[in-house]
Amino acid sequence: MSLDNILNHWSDYRKGAEEGGHHDYEHRWAMAINLDLCIGCNACSTACYAENNLAVVGKEKFERGQAMHWMRIERYWDQQELEHPEQGASFLPMMCQQCGAATCEPVCPVAATYHTPDGLNAQVYNRCIGSRYCSNNCPFRVRYFNFYSYYESSWPEPMEQQLNPDISVRDKGVMEKCTFCVQRIRTVKDKAFMEDRSVQDGEVVPACAQACPTSAIVFGDTMDEGSVVSKLWKKHQVERGVYQKTKLAKKDADLRGYRIFEELNVDPSVMYLERVREDI
Amino acid sequence: MVVKNRLINPGAGFVRTGLAGMVFLVMLLMSSMAMAVKYDVVPPSGTHTGEDVPQPIEFPHDIHVKDNDINCMYCHTYARRSKVAGIPPTSKCMGCHKVIATDKPRIKELTKYWEDKESPLWKKVHDVPDFVHFTHEKHLKTLAFDREFPVEDIKEICAFCHGDVENMTVANKVKPLNMGFCINCHIANKDLGAPGDCWKCHK
Amino acid sequence: MSGKMNRRNFLKVMGWSGAGVALTGCDMPTTVTLEEGKEEVVSYLMPEEYVIPGVGVWYASTCTQCAAGCGIHGRVREGRVLKLEGNPDAAMNNGKLCMMGQAGVQGHYNPDRINTPMMRTGGSLTPISWDKALGVLEEKLGTVNGDRFAWFTGTISGHQSVLLTNHLDTMGSTNHYAHEVVNNAVSRAVNQDMLGEANPRLRLDKAKMIVSFGADFMGASQSPVQYAGQYAKFRTNKERGLLVQIESKMSLTGGSADLWLAIKPGTEAVLALGMANLLLNKIKISDAGIPADVRTLIDTYDITKVAQMTGVAGDRIQRVTQLLSERAPSLVLAGAGVEGQAQGYAATAAIMMLNHILGNVGKTIESAGDFPFPQLMAKQGGTADLVAFAEAAKAKKLDAVIFHGSNPIYSAPKSLGLTEAMANIGFKVAISQFPDETTMAADLVLPVDSYLEDWGTQVPVDQAEANAIHVQQPLMEKLNAETKGLGDILLTLLKQRKKDDYGQFEDYYAYLRNAFAAMPTSVKNAAKSNDEFWNMALQTGVIKVDAGTKTLQSTVVSFAAPVEDNNAGLTLLPSPRLGLFDGRHANLPWLQEAPDQISKVVWDSWVEIHPDTAAKMGIGNLDLVEVSSAQGSVKLRVVLLKGMHADAVAIPLGQGHEAYGRYAKGLGVNPLQILDATTDGKTGELAMYSTRVTVKRVGPADSLSIVRMGTGAGDSQVGRKLVVTVPVEQVRRTEGT
Repeated sequence: MSLDNILNHWSDYRKGAEEGGHHDYEHRWAMAINLDLCIGCNACSTACYAENNLAVVGKEKFERGQAMHWMRIERYWDQQELEHPEQGASFLPMMCQQCGAATCEPVCPVAATYHTPDGLNAQVYNRCIGSRYCSNNCPFRVRYFNFYSYYESSWPEPMEQQLNPDISVRDKGVMEKCTFCVQRIRTVKDKAFMEDRSVQDGEVVPACAQACPTSAIVFGDTMDEGSVVSKLWKKHQVERGVYQKTKLAKKDADLRGYRIFEELNVDPSVMYLERVREDI
Repeated sequence: MVVKNRLINPGAGFVRTGLAGMVFLVMLLMSSMAMAVKYDVVPPSGTHTGEDVPQPIEFPHDIHVKDNDINCMYCHTYARRSKVAGIPPTSKCMGCHKVIATDKPRIKELTKYWEDKESPLWKKVHDVPDFVHFTHEKHLKTLAFDREFPVEDIKEICAFCHGDVENMTVANKVKPLNMGFCINCHIANKDLGAPGDCWKCHK
Repeated sequence: MSGKMNRRNFLKVMGWSGAGVALTGCDMPTTVTLEEGKEEVVSYLMPEEYVIPGVGVWYASTCTQCAAGCGIHGRVREGRVLKLEGNPDAAMNNGKLCMMGQAGVQGHYNPDRINTPMMRTGGSLTPISWDKALGVLEEKLGTVNGDRFAWFTGTISGHQSVLLTNHLDTMGSTNHYAHEVVNNAVSRAVNQDMLGEANPRLRLDKAKMIVSFGADFMGASQSPVQYAGQYAKFRTNKERGLLVQIESKMSLTGGSADLWLAIKPGTEAVLALGMANLLLNKIKISDAGIPADVRTLIDTYDITKVAQMTGVAGDRIQRVTQLLSERAPSLVLAGAGVEGQAQGYAATAAIMMLNHILGNVGKTIESAGDFPFPQLMAKQGGTADLVAFAEAAKAKKLDAVIFHGSNPIYSAPKSLGLTEAMANIGFKVAISQFPDETTMAADLVLPVDSYLEDWGTQVPVDQAEANAIHVQQPLMEKLNAETKGLGDILLTLLKQRKKDDYGQFEDYYAYLRNAFAAMPTSVKNAAKSNDEFWNMALQTGVIKVDAGTKTLQSTVVSFAAPVEDNNAGLTLLPSPRLGLFDGRHANLPWLQEAPDQISKVVWDSWVEIHPDTAAKMGIGNLDLVEVSSAQGSVKLRVVLLKGMHADAVAIPLGQGHEAYGRYAKGLGVNPLQILDATTDGKTGELAMYSTRVTVKRVGPADSLSIVRMGTGAGDSQVGRKLVVTVPVEQVRRTEGT
């Protein structure tokens, strides 16, 4: 969507997907994360640092909540009443959920964050003025603000040589967040375009999904009905733009799919599969 | 201007009108029926007065392109397969200059680099900011190959953004290559499939 | 000229230089540096057909971030390696890569790498030339007498290992000390005795139930990515696998358990004997193959006694044992907390015996076959070699030692007296990438290539079903011209001793090409020529090797009865973790900034204590405490963790470096330093999990001193539907759908 489009359709833009959305989508990238396979090992998170030029902020700034981990593993203890957590820890890989009706978008005063025809919640660094309204409005707390310029502290020579040239290094005053590895999407789309074909399922693999030792993360296009991710969403009866759906036959079927904060009607693009524990 | 005449000639080729799968069929159909194209390319507008950039070897584009009619993509061979057009590898220069014009001072200089196994440090003339995702290959495909634009005239397409290089010695930047330059062309060529999405270019 | 363009020369060609990085933002004047002629472009001299500027090319190689040896792919653009991924052709890691592997590029591009040879003159290390360094090396090693020379390394395999062994031979020495803090040496000894193979192939994916006595197989293990992959299959099998983890401190693997049980540290053998008792006497499984003395021993461990000794509830033990007998095949594993006890061998044997009783051998524990190239197989490290080395140094039995890939001064407990004993070694050489503690104590330092710049072969210890040799090739030109490859250094050393044998090889690359050409045709597969075989090997990164099939024996050895320890007190668990590992990765900022998987602390050391234990001592969360053993003490912050047994305190490994560059130096404490030098009598391995400590509060809580990743309201989901847990029936009902 161009700036022109954003300005002309500003009011449509504020309507969520429940009112029909505002896009003719080309793709709708989405994920399915099986929490029963997530072991909380941090491979995805570190892969994200490597792929996306994430700054290392150091101990003090981390303490102030300024860490830039686009993909973070949250760890919860569920059995707080017990002497020991007998069912282990609950790990949650959390990153931008690329909401279909994202709460961050309408509050941006300069339309630096907007929805792309790929169904991605884009962040245009050059346009960002650092108001931080978006991160305040994000229910998932997955937007990260550059309070400092990290270029010199995070990549002392020769570390800067590792930086991925396909993605910018963000500077002070700019908001950033998970992009679903848009640079990888872009590369694959360019390749498909050059070969006069459409993007195949499994062609785009974000860094986190590629690294994950247990293959807990599946990525794909929900507009492609044959894609693995589409089938997973369908199997678990999770649908775009449909909220708090009473799942059919919940008691009889493996319907573990859910989206976090579904009740907020933000239409996240990440479906999680419930963690399973055998009570013995 | 030659370039313009060429491009407003409706017989020059045809255009991607829709999504990838459909296009090929449409194209076949249209070409067999020798129909006129619906849309045509509107070249970008804007000028820039570039500074003279001294290069390690004063490469004469005019001699190569105008006098000897060498295709841009013969040397800038990566343009059709990559984001960047690339500076030709020294081996490519030497392919000809092992035998051609070996007595000229500039060729002697080049030969010395080659024998020392060193690359000349060329100065960048055309560049877009590092936060921009620009690809030569997609532009060439859309503007030339998909329209069956004659490859021998590719310099007319290159001239959109690089100007009249065939009349330059070392290249000089004559187009602004800024966001306005890009976006105006994209808006003008919307029907050709030029994207307007911010994230297509901003990375 | 093109004939001289081998791969190394090819890597010499460069792409765009100076293009560097985009700096975006509103206030950066550098954002647009588009003035013509301000940046330079270096063109290729002679490009390979597949190298296109602006397009990443993937090369296969091998990860050496831990001893597992996973296959990797490195993305190279414009002559720089940017990103590492798992190599899908490598069956063991199957295209996946852990956080340590991901951070490999940070070791390669590390600003604290040693870039010149150095020699100790007048007490400090000063730069010298390679010529001089090699001259000194030749001269000093020329005067050393046979067994008074030694190599000290980590786990090492492949052709580097062959050259190292050959070098020892030419020196007339047999002293190769291989040291790894994270090791399974005791399990290897037990497996050798009971199964006839030290490294049998574990098949977690075939098990219906795993009972792990502190085996952190997905975390700090011998092959974390491989076992995590197997775990994924184990969980997604038609009958979802059941994981029971029994340990004194919750490990990464423990975090994924269906049932996590806290056990009193040091009593794992008791529990195993108790379970054996139930299996033999109550569930009436045959006791065939169990030696009479062990059978008698088992009978003395009735459930009441076991429950009382281990702190695990009797009904839990019965239920787990019952399920083990029902869900065959199962797999019972012993981890570092068991192996690292004063009777580590006996305890591990008691646990491995359960596999025999349950009939798992041959089902979930398979023979790894016979690897056809024993000389390439890994010389696996342990801590027994560290102890032996310290003894030899103390007894002044060593005159010259070459160190590589291990940091004994950091990882040896003070009680071993290694730091002082090092003074007895006249000539210490460190082949090293970083200024770590051991390197800084050396007399001669040789800067080595990173694994992304070097040639080599690696033979993974824990192989997947398809056995393979993994090939390591440079992914880019050396960052610094003054570093040399390990293989090249070894070859130089050999040339100094045996010019006739090794003079024919110009460099290690030439040696490897020869070695590959000399491989038997069976390995070369369909390759029509040596060149084709070489190219295929580089392209896939994997040389498939047939190790044949063998059957394991399933026996039980006699082992010592657990010693009843009535000495109350806290046991210190120096726990390694995926990330900083044994401390070798403390200089990689991504790994320092990655929160610990369980406690979520970054950039620091901390001690984990159960809240009840802490409350009894008047200690609160984040208080400053002093943890003291008989050997010394460390001061650090407390993190209260319910995933602890009340009698254990855990300090994660990795920090407390006194050297090792800007990211590692001066952070946290090193628990290894305060360990007792107790060893397991049978294997000589350090009993790293047997040191008793006291904890004393010395300062108040200070939120600024320990940094943890915030998860909103502490550690609770406070009723939000974030991670939802459902009973297994949810999945089981729909089997096959």
